[in-house]
Amino acid sequence: MNKGKEGIPPGWSYNPASWGQRLPIVGLALVGCGIATYLSLHQLKVFPTVWEPFFGNGSQKVLTSGVSQLLPVPDAVLGAAGYLSDAVAGAVGGRKRWKTMPWIVILFGLLVGPLGMISILLVVIQPVLYHAWCTLCLCSAAISVIMIGPAMDEMLASLQYMRRVKDARVSLWKAFWGYKSVQGKVI
Amino acid sequence: MWAQIINALLGIWLMASPAILSSDKAAATNAYIVGPLIAAFATISWWEATRVVRLYSLPLGAWLLLAPWVLNYHNTTATLNAMLVGALVIGLSLVKGKVHTRLGGSWAGIWAKEPLHKQEAGKQPRV
Repeated sequence: MNKGKEGIPPGWSYNPASWGQRLPIVGLALVGCGIATYLSLHQLKVFPTVWEPFFGNGSQKVLTSGVSQLLPVPDAVLGAAGYLSDAVAGAVGGRKRWKTMPWIVILFGLLVGPLGMISILLVVIQPVLYHAWCTLCLCSAAISVIMIGPAMDEMLASLQYMRRVKDARVSLWKAFWGYKSVQGKVI
Repeated sequence: MWAQIINALLGIWLMASPAILSSDKAAATNAYIVGPLIAAFATISWWEATRVVRLYSLPLGAWLLLAPWVLNYHNTTATLNAMLVGALVIGLSLVKGKVHTRLGGSWAGIWAKEPLHKQEAGKQPRV
C-alpha cells in the first residue's frame, strides 16, 4: 500500500482523518475562539465598546440581552470554551484516528454539532426578541455552521468502523477506546 | 453544490428581507426564524457526507408557501417574497448535485445489511 492511500477507510475515496481534512476545521475553530474571546472580554467589561460596522448599537443590545446573561457566565465565554474544545478534539490523534481512537472522533462530532445548533438558535433569538443583529455574533455562528459538515465525515468513518467491529464480534467497548489488542482484528 | 450555495443565499436574503421590504411583524418574525435555518441546512449540505441535510429544508420551503395565509401577512411584497423563496428552496433542495467521493455506503452503511465499507474491508488483507 502506498503512503498516500494509507489510512483511507474501506470503501472510501479519501481519508477523512487526514491532516488536510482536519487542519482547516481546527483553524476555523481557533478563529471562532478568537471572536468569542473578544466578545467575552466585552461582556466581562474589560473592553467598554465592541466593534460593530453595520447594525448601530445592535451588538451592544445583543451582548447585554437577558438571554446572554441567563447563565452564571456570559454566553460568549461558553462559546469560546466550546470552540477551544472543538479545536482540541479536532487536533488530537493521528491520521488513522477514525480507527485508532473512535472516542475522540465521535466526541469531536458531538461537540461541533451542538455548538453549531446553539449558534443557529442564537441567530434566531437576536432579531426575534431584541430586534437587533450583532455582526461578530453572526460571523461566529457562520463559522460554527461551516464546521459541521466537514466534521461529520470523520464521524461517519468511525461509526462504520464500529459497525464492522460489531459484525466481527469484537468488543465495541475496547474498539471505542482504541485498545491496541483489537485494532489488528478489524480493518 | 451550486444549488445549496443559492439556498444559503436565499436563507440570508430572507433574514435581511424584513428590513428591505418593510414587512409587517408576523412576516418579519417568520423570516427571522426560517431564514437562518434554511441558510444553515444549505451550508451543512455543501459537503458530500452531509449532502442529505438539504432535504431538511423541504418542510421549511413548504411552510413558506403557506405562512402568508396562515399568519395573515398584510404586506403583498412580503407575501410574494415568502412564496417565491419557498418555491425556490423546495426546487433547489431536491438538487443533489454531483457526488465525487465514495463514503463506504454513507450513513445507511451503519445499518445496511452488506454495506460497501464492509464488502471492501472483506477484500483487504488483514494487517
